[in-house]
Amino acid sequence: MVGSALLLTSIPILLIGAGLAAGLRTNHARGIAALVTQALATLVVLISIWPVLAGHATIEVIWPWPAPIDRIAFRLDALGAFFLAWSLPMTLLGTLYAVGYLRPYFHAGRNGGPHFALLNMTSVAFVLIYSVQNALVFLLGWEIAAVAAWLLVIWDYRKQKIRFAGFNYLVSTHVGLFVLVAAFMLLHSYTGSMDFAAFGTYLSSHPVGQGTVFLLLGISFALKSAFFPFHTWLPRAHAAAPAHVSALMSGVIHKAGLFGFLRFTLLAGKPEEWMGWSVLVFGAMSAVFGVLYTATQRDLKRLLGYSSTENVGIAAMAFGVGMLGWAWGNPGLATLGFGAGLLHLLNHALFKCSLFYAAGAVYRATHTIDLERLGGLARRLPSTTIFFLVGGLAMCGLPPLNGFVSEFLIYAGLLSGAAPTTEGDVVLVCAAAVLAFVGAVGALSTTRAFGLTFLGAARDPSLHVGAEEPRSMAIPMAVHSVAIVVLGVYPEVALWLVEPAVQRFQLALGAPATANLATVLGPVLWACRGLAVVLGVAMVAAWRRRRTARASVTWGCGYTAGTARMQYTGSSFSAQLSTLFRPALPLVTHEHLPTAAFPQHASHLSTNHVDAVERRMFEVLGQGEQFVQDTSARIPEQPRFAFAAGLLALVVVALVALGKML
Amino acid sequence: MSVVANIIALLVMPIILVGTINRVKARWAGRRGPPILQLAFDLWRLARKTPVYSKLTTPVFRLGPIVVVVTAIASACVVPLAGTTSLIAFPFDFVWFAYVWSLGRVALMLGALDTGSSFEGMGASREATFATLLEPVLFLVAGALCLHSGARSFAAVLVPRLDAPAAVVMWVAAIAALLIVVQVESARMPVDDPTTHLELTMVHEVMILDHSGAELAFLQLGAAIKMFVGVSVVAMLLNPLAGEHSLAAVAAHLGLCLAIAVAIGLSESLIARLKLRVVPQYIVVGLIAGGIALLSMLGRGGHG
Repeated sequence: MVGSALLLTSIPILLIGAGLAAGLRTNHARGIAALVTQALATLVVLISIWPVLAGHATIEVIWPWPAPIDRIAFRLDALGAFFLAWSLPMTLLGTLYAVGYLRPYFHAGRNGGPHFALLNMTSVAFVLIYSVQNALVFLLGWEIAAVAAWLLVIWDYRKQKIRFAGFNYLVSTHVGLFVLVAAFMLLHSYTGSMDFAAFGTYLSSHPVGQGTVFLLLGISFALKSAFFPFHTWLPRAHAAAPAHVSALMSGVIHKAGLFGFLRFTLLAGKPEEWMGWSVLVFGAMSAVFGVLYTATQRDLKRLLGYSSTENVGIAAMAFGVGMLGWAWGNPGLATLGFGAGLLHLLNHALFKCSLFYAAGAVYRATHTIDLERLGGLARRLPSTTIFFLVGGLAMCGLPPLNGFVSEFLIYAGLLSGAAPTTEGDVVLVCAAAVLAFVGAVGALSTTRAFGLTFLGAARDPSLHVGAEEPRSMAIPMAVHSVAIVVLGVYPEVALWLVEPAVQRFQLALGAPATANLATVLGPVLWACRGLAVVLGVAMVAAWRRRRTARASVTWGCGYTAGTARMQYTGSSFSAQLSTLFRPALPLVTHEHLPTAAFPQHASHLSTNHVDAVERRMFEVLGQGEQFVQDTSARIPEQPRFAFAAGLLALVVVALVALGKML
Repeated sequence: MSVVANIIALLVMPIILVGTINRVKARWAGRRGPPILQLAFDLWRLARKTPVYSKLTTPVFRLGPIVVVVTAIASACVVPLAGTTSLIAFPFDFVWFAYVWSLGRVALMLGALDTGSSFEGMGASREATFATLLEPVLFLVAGALCLHSGARSFAAVLVPRLDAPAAVVMWVAAIAALLIVVQVESARMPVDDPTTHLELTMVHEVMILDHSGAELAFLQLGAAIKMFVGVSVVAMLLNPLAGEHSLAAVAAHLGLCLAIAVAIGLSESLIARLKLRVVPQYIVVGLIAGGIALLSMLGRGGHG
């Protein structure tokens, strides 16, 4: 009772902060109001979820409420506590970053009040979504998060491109909302209640209902978390938004989709085997396409956006493994799957926020994030370089950083040979090979993004590099980078958060509530620590043993008139890979090439890697009207065509009628 | 004894393997060839030289070679280097193996991009692209070996177990796939030509074009260790005594490693490098072999 009251006081605190931020006179005061109230709310939330994480108890209070809600169940369990534990602190860091990042806009006279207020509202949405188990309140939190994110994205609303990106996001997220509302309406009509517990009782006893709701919720949460092929809004939104908004959306806000998925998996009880397989395959697909797209982007923030699609896919693969373990009654596999997935969500939030912040710092200094123009920033922005490198290496899952730990757990699940049939085992090994492919393409993307931005020389000589980021931007990056390294060698800190949540799944499975993630990780962690120590010592030793060295130019193989424009570019770096995967990575070329020996006209060539799904979608939308016209024109002309269409309609009606009868 | 044998093998064999390959190639071409230990002399000479750094480079360029060597040694720790067992073994250590290799590769590629040279960027791009196709091969083979043996660590699965027709198919396919992995990873023919220079050398040598002095020595040592580790993996699968703690097992393992080195030398003398466009297809052959190894587990019958 005390815990719940305490947790809910964070909402008025945040609302007061939002009001102050909107009402105060100077941007400085507005920022401070938002920061102070968020810090207070974070403190309150952390204190109140402490007993849930330490004692593994569930705080539960039910308030009577006037119709049509009838009662609101406030129920904070370890799963919600896990998400709350890092969502609010990271939003606080993002707000701190915003103070520094938006300063040039403030100097130009922009009012930052609404922006800070919206950041506070995002935190309110987290408290609602993660702790209240009532369909209406959940939807309320969901909408607050969606609309706040939209308004945060269109900070630079004067640019048409940014308004379009925001609108694109708004439409996508609401398509997801319709599906979510449909699922909740179905459940409400079956149970007559808005309470998640009642949903759970119904779902665990009605397999057909469970399947339907699984599909509906799956689509909705996939749209929210930007799974392939529901990701089309994501690269645009992430490229358009200010860096901290991209970071918070990708790292924190859209984890709500996966939270919803886990919440309902837990409520619905033992899943069917096909659900586990479909989540695994869907996740693998998302990971593969997401990572392939990261390899070809020239906009740094778009690249990071696609990497979100990749990483939620990796997490979903882990959850698929967990669901399979549950369906097969294998508690070890279920623990590995759900534990690895949850850990990966946290790890992804850490390194992705850090990377977006670093991309924002690059933008602040150079006013561009186009890989084809950047280069050589390591000498001008040394701290940003280190932060980006740490985040990037963690993103492709390399030891001894945090991304490796969660991916290792996923591999342990996939390669454990725990399936009841050899066929199942073979498919799981194939999934492990897919994950290895994703890791290798991720390594290519990271090398490309980091190497082109920070190493070599600037590809565009006109690029003006400003000063390094202010302290308010450096602190969030530093905190995230330290966390990435610490969770890489001491993931016990994160496992302390993850294990209570995993125990919820173990209890639902009926297995003894002892998580064994630490046991699986034991030896590899010592290997990681050893590697970290040896690497650190060796590098320091090599660095300190400075010998006399001569400085010269880069060896140009005898050619001495090389320029920065002759460096390998982003598109050339990924050209071979994108040729190998051309069907998935369409390339649009606009060219006007020289023809004769002495061309009379200026020629040009431009290539653009477009999103296959979005391109197809717009094509269908654009051609849809034409298609309907053509079809309706053909019917009177061709009797056979009309006959076929009628037959098809008849079959559909017959099938529906048959379904009704059965 | 096993620990000592592993460490001695790690110190000596990379140099001997490179020497053996070069000696075989020289003999085939009708020359006497350099001494077997030439690489050791080269490393010693390079380590004392004054390095030359491009003005464009950053600390990434200087620290990359250290990472390459450390990761090569880290990967060597989980592979049995002397036919007995590995220095350390834990469940799913081949995941560690693959990712540590990947870390070394990223360090090498970043060092190449740091010079701002278009040649080196080209090499890095190729290395990264080939790796994307190569990593799944390793996991397909490792997964098949795991399912077949029921063991989970590299040292335990790398033992020939020819107890059924399906197992023989798996064994052959796994060795074929791993040989391709070794060829690509240690930049040997027919994927890459370690003897030419400049842009003719397609992948590995071009990335180390700007390195000199101790850094170049580190990179060459790292490459030699990686090749020995890869050759050891194949030799374990070929060695009927693999896993036994006996001198015979050690002798058989080292003999097989040298035999593979001779085979590499002969093949480099006899065949030319593939066209760059064909290299991905060659790696796909490895992918198919890995797939066959895995699918042959379906024909094994039973579960366990």
